Amino acid sequence: MRIGVLWNKLADPKNIPRLFAFSLGIILIIGLIVPMALNPDQLYVRPAPQEQIDEGLAIAPYDRGGEVLTEPGNINPQYPENAAQLGMITGYMSPISQWVSSISPYFGTSIYSSPGGLIDEILYYTRGFDTILESSILMMAFIIASWLSINYTMDRKNDENEIRKDVKKAITDSTKVANEVKANDAKARSKQLRRDN
Amino acid sequence: MGMDFVTLGGNLLGTIPLGDIVLYLTPFNLFLFAVLLGFTVMIGLSKPETQIEATFHYLNNTEVKVGEKEFKQRRFLSVICGIASAGAMITGDLFNFTLFMALVGILNIGIVSAVKQTSVLNSAFNYGLIAMMCSLPLFGGAAIILASTGTLSLAVLSQMPASPMVVFGAVLMLIGILGESGVAPFFASKAEMFRTAGSPFIVIIHLSSLFIIVRAVEILLLVLW
Repeated sequence: MRIGVLWNKLADPKNIPRLFAFSLGIILIIGLIVPMALNPDQLYVRPAPQEQIDEGLAIAPYDRGGEVLTEPGNINPQYPENAAQLGMITGYMSPISQWVSSISPYFGTSIYSSPGGLIDEILYYTRGFDTILESSILMMAFIIASWLSINYTMDRKNDENEIRKDVKKAITDSTKVANEVKANDAKARSKQLRRDN
Repeated sequence: MGMDFVTLGGNLLGTIPLGDIVLYLTPFNLFLFAVLLGFTVMIGLSKPETQIEATFHYLNNTEVKVGEKEFKQRRFLSVICGIASAGAMITGDLFNFTLFMALVGILNIGIVSAVKQTSVLNSAFNYGLIAMMCSLPLFGGAAIILASTGTLSLAVLSQMPASPMVVFGAVLMLIGILGESGVAPFFASKAEMFRTAGSPFIVIIHLSSLFIIVRAVEILLLVLW
């Protein structure tokens, strides 16, 4: 295939998402052969799988220690100097959660029963700016969607210009058709005349 | 490993610490930041252009005007887009950068979706499909780099050697950035979005992509070198 043909295909917006999906697929397949291993030295450390369950902790595997407002829990931020109070509410649980965890060894097996303080600390303290950005993305999406649903820009039915353009086009088209019919008529008549003579 | 803020952007003038997300200011990043903010102010103050189109078969012209409601919506989204791109210029956190990128992407679609021209809307739709797909490589790439190095801070990442896993994460991020900013060979859907009236708002789409590409090159050099 000539390169010009290829460029012309690339100039059609319809083909671009397909091309992008294809190249992304290729890269993801290449990713299957890239050696991958989790670095255990992570931010916001968590214990190894099963470690806390073997120890028999009530809120395993989400126990990060610490006592609310007195002793910080085990979190490892990137810049501890920017988050001096970090860890103070890591271990926070609501009274109901505390009661459930006291009677059941399986409290930690669902994500929504993890100590609530930890998620708050990461979302609103160490990575609060990310949270602001995430909700801004959502807000912009809602602004765009609501503006579109009110003003419905794709609607062409009642657009005056569009109607006028369509009428103009219909007139030109029908004149063209009429002219063609006339020309064919004349041609057929002359043919018939020739045959008759 | 040797590539540093100082080699790339000049002396470190200061940082803005927001918990684990630390924005850093070098002459290079500050310059990009200031240019974008200046342009954003100009967009906030300017009026949109009107296009004149020749009409076929007849001896008159058609004006493609931007209505008042459409103008307000597009100006608002353009200003936010300018601020978001400016933020992407000084951020010092990998995941923070991808969030800015996603915000710019959705704002680009929004600026164009207010237009009432079918061809433009069609290409905006196709660009939207790409922007949606881009969230996988963008956030996935950042997640893979985090899993491999244990950090998202660019200052720390720039001091670390790049493993094959980091390189793969960077390649994933790169394709996300290429798609989202509409660089060749994915330019067509984005280029078609420009064929409409309302010049300053259309130009911020272009400008934000350009600046983000420049910044992405800096970030990839910091991560990989």
